[in-house]
Amino acid sequence: MIRANVELRIRRQDTPGSAPYWQVFNAPVRERDNVISVLMQLRQQPVTADGQRVDPVAFEHNCMEEVCGACAMLINGLPRPSCSALIDELDHPIVLEPLPKFPVVRDLIVDRSRMSEHLQRVKAWIRIDGAWEIHERTQRQSQQAWARNYLYSRCMSCGCCMAACPQFGPDKAFVGPAPLAQVRLMNAHPTGRYDSAERLHAIMAEGGLTDCGNAQNCVRVCPKEIPLTTAIGELGRQTTLQMLKDLFGA
Amino acid sequence: MTASIDNTHFLLRRLHSLFGLVPVGAFLVFHLWENSQSRFGAAHFNETVVGGLQRLNYLPFLELFVIALPLLFHAGYGLAVIGSGRAEPLRYRFLRNRWYWLQRISGVGLMLFLLLHVGMTRIAGMFEPSIRADLFGHMQQSLSQPPVLALYLIGLWLAVFHLANGLSTAAIAWGLTTSANAQRRFGWLCGAFGLLLGAIGMHGLIGFLAAAGGAA
Repeated sequence: MIRANVELRIRRQDTPGSAPYWQVFNAPVRERDNVISVLMQLRQQPVTADGQRVDPVAFEHNCMEEVCGACAMLINGLPRPSCSALIDELDHPIVLEPLPKFPVVRDLIVDRSRMSEHLQRVKAWIRIDGAWEIHERTQRQSQQAWARNYLYSRCMSCGCCMAACPQFGPDKAFVGPAPLAQVRLMNAHPTGRYDSAERLHAIMAEGGLTDCGNAQNCVRVCPKEIPLTTAIGELGRQTTLQMLKDLFGA
Repeated sequence: MTASIDNTHFLLRRLHSLFGLVPVGAFLVFHLWENSQSRFGAAHFNETVVGGLQRLNYLPFLELFVIALPLLFHAGYGLAVIGSGRAEPLRYRFLRNRWYWLQRISGVGLMLFLLLHVGMTRIAGMFEPSIRADLFGHMQQSLSQPPVLALYLIGLWLAVFHLANGLSTAAIAWGLTTSANAQRRFGWLCGAFGLLLGAIGMHGLIGFLAAAGGAA
């Protein structure tokens, strides 16, 4: 069953504040293994290439089918979910690092609460009922609109787009591509559009849409192929119109 | 709800974008077009091209409000926000990412070039009437030194790139182009515009060296 050993170079870090260091492992690989299944295997025998027994590598995973976003990390230098990174398709040795731009908790686990904070900041939700009940059904939307909106609903908040974005970082204000795409999605929703001006105002403040530098790495690395740069262009148009409404009256 | 105008962040960023195109970008096009007429020789250049501009009414106001102040705002604000990004052109080898990085490099490079360029022509001309009287001869003399010519060629292409790429990203920022195809098509159009503008600029630079006669 075990086909071969594969060399893994893993950047490790024991605690949030401590210095990172590198360890090399020769991990057993089965057919059709992915990075997470190899890490699971390695956890049972955490021995480095030079025979030293070490603490098992800490990593995060959940769905194993690229829909939860928990396992995103830097694989051979590029951010991507590790459950869908097949060993057969990767260059060897395989270099694993924690997802950049987010604070490291331990080894390959990062704290992505900034993602959640930014989703809150741009009001990436839909108010179904207010202080009173509306008692009305969601309005119908066309098949075409539905198909376009669906693309954005696939976002799993993995953070790959944020990791690749030159304008996003721990010391930067930019909300990042994923929360912006959710503004695009919520503003197009038949009920969500009632709050679109509020969401646009949220992304017209510091760290909002205008902090995008159009490097367009986000759309290249997104594992769900979400048209993030189209969302940014459409929000550009929406904010231009919102600015005119604010300046001259709606 | 007027958050977007109560908070100056959005307006300042959009003003930075707008000024880069109009009036600064538009001035670059006009400037390169005017200078491309260097090939018609010293007499034509000094009297018709430069003389025509020098005889404009309200010229100092035009220079100040249409060129200098918008340019200073665009450059100053650009320099102030350049630190909000950290380019990784080697990790993400995508074309747009390289342009992102080059846009910032060219912006800083242009500021240095413009300090020299404006200093050597417009500012020097304020103290040296002979420069104003025979700008053609002055430019011909300067450009015949290879380091100066190299500096001008670099400055020209930095400016042309910065405008062409700025035009294609401004189209996304303002929401003119939204779909990936539209952004790509407009990107190529801006590339063609940049090449044409660069060619006009090169034609102007070479014209100073090729055309006959220093002082008319």
